[in-house]
Amino acid sequence: MNPHAEDVSHPKRRSFLKAFLLLISGLISAVVAVPLLGFAILPALKKASKKYVVLGIVDLLKGSRFKKINYTFQSKDGWVQTNKKRSVYVTDAGNGNFVVFSRVCSHLNCLVRWEESKRQFLCPCHGGVFDEEGNVVAGPPPRALEKLPVKVEDGVLYVKEI
Amino acid sequence: MKEKIVEFFAERIPLRSIETHIKKPLPRHINWLFSLGAMALFLLILQAATGAFLAIYYSPSPDHAYNSLNYISKEVPFGGFVRGLHHWGASAMVIVVFLHLLRVVVYDSYKAPRELTWLVGVLLLLIVLGFGFTGYLLPWDQKAYWATVVGAKIASTVPFIGDVIGRILRGGEEVGAVTLARFYAIHTIWLPWMVFGLVGLHLFLVRHHGSSGLPQNTSDDMNAGKPFYPEQLFEDGVAILILFSVLVAMALFVPVPSEEIADPADASYDPRPEWYFLFLFQLLKYFEGPLEVIGTFVIPFVAILLLFLVPFLSRKQRLPLRKRPVALTITGISVLSLISLTILGVRSPRLNSTSTTVTEAEESKAPNSENTEVFDFGLEEDD
Repeated sequence: MNPHAEDVSHPKRRSFLKAFLLLISGLISAVVAVPLLGFAILPALKKASKKYVVLGIVDLLKGSRFKKINYTFQSKDGWVQTNKKRSVYVTDAGNGNFVVFSRVCSHLNCLVRWEESKRQFLCPCHGGVFDEEGNVVAGPPPRALEKLPVKVEDGVLYVKEI
Repeated sequence: MKEKIVEFFAERIPLRSIETHIKKPLPRHINWLFSLGAMALFLLILQAATGAFLAIYYSPSPDHAYNSLNYISKEVPFGGFVRGLHHWGASAMVIVVFLHLLRVVVYDSYKAPRELTWLVGVLLLLIVLGFGFTGYLLPWDQKAYWATVVGAKIASTVPFIGDVIGRILRGGEEVGAVTLARFYAIHTIWLPWMVFGLVGLHLFLVRHHGSSGLPQNTSDDMNAGKPFYPEQLFEDGVAILILFSVLVAMALFVPVPSEEIADPADASYDPRPEWYFLFLFQLLKYFEGPLEVIGTFVIPFVAILLLFLVPFLSRKQRLPLRKRPVALTITGISVLSLISLTILGVRSPRLNSTSTTVTEAEESKAPNSENTEVFDFGLEEDD
């Protein structure tokens, strides 16, 4: 193949070939690696659009105090259309207003539980404690419990995840 | 500083011996066809990389497989490109491996002491076909489903043990969830382990015996050519770059053929295997009734057996193909038969195609036209 056998050991030719090999492998690696990384990473960075979903009938929730409500809603999970389950605490704040506490601990996402006798939210994982307003009383949580956005329409209470 | 780093590693890894290895001179007479092996190795790495990433989103169950691939193609950034590379890369692999085998036959490279290299190579060819067969079930579309139904039935025609083989292949009596899961496992775990082991052995043997070069090489020529690095590797690199550019262009501009989701009740579909199995598809048409087994088992079995036996059929010294009339005839007839059968398979008339494709085309053009509705009604009656 190589008609210039005497050139084979020529240092200039050798360094040219080496540089070219480096260029080829760099080029191919980049053309493969960039799409592959984007493929694996970008969908994970996409923010899901959250919508208001039905939590319950206002009449049935009147006078609630830290009432645990489990609700489900239709949602797309990758390529699967699925029913997602969530759990919140609902408190009637009067005048048709409701406070809905997310149960997700602000520390590391375990689900907190309302303890009526202590009038506190307790986290089962690392000892986080929150008061009736959701403020941190003890333990490692850095922030108060989230109060989820709610709205009332036609006698139905809707909630939106943050 | 650089010297110190090199020194550090040289004292811990046999760098110097690796260096002598990769700078080992090749035989004097050699040409670009000797890059086909490197091209196959490149494709293997490309398939492994794209496959590993596709597996991130793929779901191997009949309920989700089709949708997960749609998700990859339509919603994941670069999804169509990654899938395209993997799809077209598979076809390229079959072509490159076949040409690599032909190169070895034409230059008589399989003769002593390289018989084992050949045997491992034939195993690798079968594994490549196994990758193809298990791989194209995964999209769980019509082509996937029906090609696997037929493929498993072909395996069932093996005398005496056929039924058991078919059942093991399918994981039961029918192609379904169990089949898809095991094909996925074979495609992504079993075959990759085998292929990497055998490629390692293949490369070790190639390295151990050195490149065979052209038959006219005398023993003086054997270690008198250019060094593997950087000379041969440069040529390999150019060949790989061309191959890669073609694949990138195809992945970008030629959409991966996609069909409807698998439907075991749809008789309006014309089952066809992937193009590299069309020769077998066509061959099966020529054997009727009790002769069926000749096409499904006898000819493929004998062909594979002969492939394994190639290095042991003639113990003569290496000669160019034109001086080997028997080898030339057999090779020529085999290649021509494969190509003609494939072409006949491509052109093979499609029983249902006129009705289905026309309906689909008309449907997409005028979904609510009266014409289409009448046509649809006719089809349903047909079923």
